[in-house]
Amino acid sequence: MDVLYLLIPFSAVLVLGILGVFAWALFGGQFDDLEQHGERILRDDAAAFDSDQAR
Amino acid sequence: MALRIGGMVCAACATTIEEALRKQAGVIDASVSAAGQCAIVRWDPQCTQARTLMLAIEHAGYQAAPDTAAHARALRRTEARSALWRLFVAAFCAMQVMMMATPAYVSAPGDLAPDLKRLLDWGSWLLSLPVLWFSAAPFFAGAWAALRRRTIGMDVPVAIGIAVAFVASSGAAFDPGGLFGHEVYFDSLTMFISFLLGGRYLELRARHRAEAALEAATDRLPQQVQRVRADGGVETVDLQQLRPGDRLRVAVGEAFAADGVLLQGATAADEAMLTGESRPVAKAVGDAVTAGSMNLQAPVLMQVERIGADTRYESIVALMRAARHQRPAMLASADRWAAPFLWTVLLLAAAAGAAWSVFDPSRAVWVVVSVLIVTCPCALSLAAPSALLAAAGAMGRRGLLLRRLDAIAGLVAVQTLFIDKTGTLTDGRLCCVETRRLDGGEDFSTTELQGLAASLAGWSQHPLSQALRQSFAAAGVVWRDVREQPGQGLEGLDEQGRRWRLGRAAWAGAGDGLIAASERSVSILACDGRALACFVFDERLRDDALAAVQALQQDGVKLQLLSGDEPARVQRIADLLGVDASAGAMTPELKLAALRNAQLQGQLVAMIGDGINDAPVLAQADVSIAMGEGAQLAQAQADGVLVSNRLADLVQARALARRALHIVRQNMAWAAIYNLACVPLALAGWLPPWAAGLGMAASSLLVMLNSLRLAR
Repeated sequence: MDVLYLLIPFSAVLVLGILGVFAWALFGGQFDDLEQHGERILRDDAAAFDSDQAR
Repeated sequence: MALRIGGMVCAACATTIEEALRKQAGVIDASVSAAGQCAIVRWDPQCTQARTLMLAIEHAGYQAAPDTAAHARALRRTEARSALWRLFVAAFCAMQVMMMATPAYVSAPGDLAPDLKRLLDWGSWLLSLPVLWFSAAPFFAGAWAALRRRTIGMDVPVAIGIAVAFVASSGAAFDPGGLFGHEVYFDSLTMFISFLLGGRYLELRARHRAEAALEAATDRLPQQVQRVRADGGVETVDLQQLRPGDRLRVAVGEAFAADGVLLQGATAADEAMLTGESRPVAKAVGDAVTAGSMNLQAPVLMQVERIGADTRYESIVALMRAARHQRPAMLASADRWAAPFLWTVLLLAAAAGAAWSVFDPSRAVWVVVSVLIVTCPCALSLAAPSALLAAAGAMGRRGLLLRRLDAIAGLVAVQTLFIDKTGTLTDGRLCCVETRRLDGGEDFSTTELQGLAASLAGWSQHPLSQALRQSFAAAGVVWRDVREQPGQGLEGLDEQGRRWRLGRAAWAGAGDGLIAASERSVSILACDGRALACFVFDERLRDDALAAVQALQQDGVKLQLLSGDEPARVQRIADLLGVDASAGAMTPELKLAALRNAQLQGQLVAMIGDGINDAPVLAQADVSIAMGEGAQLAQAQADGVLVSNRLADLVQARALARRALHIVRQNMAWAAIYNLACVPLALAGWLPPWAAGLGMAASSLLVMLNSLRLAR
């Protein structure tokens, strides 16, 4: 059970890391408009592929 | 000046900001809408500046920005992001804290080593820190701002609850068995904060969506327009450079930039914004087009008649803005109750804390926290405004724009409805009400005469000719040598070479004695100089007038027709509609007197009208509605504007208003029952803080959702 003394502090640090990743995604605008990307396929002017998918 | 406010969380904040603004030198009046998240400030430019006012709002703990769409969108985005960020931090940390709290709940006594227990407590404390300092910051900021102004806001009990729980738990974590015992509440605390933030985030999303929809509706004019120059060339100019008299080219899918008439081309326009009617309206050369409506079918050329603030579109937008800033009387009374209520809560919590610390000191802390949290009166303060705003929004989509939210209650309670005739019950167009056969007409049947008249009338654009065409099916006659004598009538030869005339009595060759003085609009059909038939015209009732009047009467509303027109004509319309009371030849003063009389008898009186002459009466009535086609002055005096010009919408709006009041009562009852049920539970110590947080967020959300049922 001694490993708990290491794992509990470690989990606290991990939480901070995950919060950081979420902050990066949030302030990068990924959650600003959740519907838009789903509807993009229905729009006429949308490209058929994302740029990295086009061959 | 309009300002958008960021950081508002509940209705009580509106009062706070209003007070902060009114304290500023030079501010004449300030009104803040919690639901619309904006403020309207009237101020004296000599005494103060916009910057100072915005600073005052920021000083009170909120953000302010001038009301332009771009700023507002940016503000909304920042607000949404930071709300989501706070929520995520709180929820994620709460999850971790719960995992660390689990061993203490599930382990058998003595199973958990004391040093491991302390390590878990420290971990919980560490993870609670960001929740407390970052996620819960809005509650502390709100509470601090309220206390500094020596008022009491909804954030105060919440902030005290959070602080008490955190201090007690920290004490227990670092000094087990000391002053605060050894029970920690980090799990309850973080869970409570995340529930609260979750509820507020959902509210924020709903409000943002409503605001974006309103902006989309009020932001329909194009920024640039295609103006046709005198030499026939086309130039692109800004909307601001447009002048009445300009000719514009409007492409398909573009909005008309100004009110005007169509010069070239035929198309269909979507006037849903103005009328609530989503069916396209056909537009031919000479028809009026309104700013903000969409050109749907073909590119056209239009002549600008009115621009900017004179357009119907702008007046409707102004109405919408005004409605958003209304604080109904019902709301004001709720505000008055908020402060005593909050004081009661604080005293109750203190009393409960004192009592429990005598009986069972280990539970005193969380009983206090629960009481403080569970009674947050957010649901109570949201009950009326959310329902009334949702109802006003729904009415707006169905053709009735309200300027005062109070009118919703009035609309339901109204006992007598005064209706103006011309322009309200009738739509200004004419129709043929009587075909009178004259001596010379024995060779023809009435239908034949009507058909011939309609057929000949097809050659003219005169209003009476149009009315004839609409009233009767035209006979298939091939006319030759048709000629229109302006101001007199039409003349044409039929297949047999007979010369027919349609028009004034003198032109058609009929004697003067045929026409009674009260009949202003008649037309005579004559063949080879012999008068055959006389057509009598009168105003046409709106298509839905009869149905609307009957529905209102069935609803228990007494109707009374008031008109400045001749009594005989008013009586005819009243008979057609089945209205008992009618009065003709009424001047505005007489109309006003009639309405006052009814009010003196203790009746709640409503008035529908359209003209400038109705404006004083509209101002006097308890509830007043102006027709969308009516005069600007009448609309300015009215509580609401029937933009669709459909009287049937009034019946619908009345049903909707009744539902809105019903929902307000439901909301109030729910909020009251919730508080009455939960406070004793919390006082008795049966309601842990996390459940209190969940209950409070859920009750606010329930009230919002219940109100939003109206918006569908």
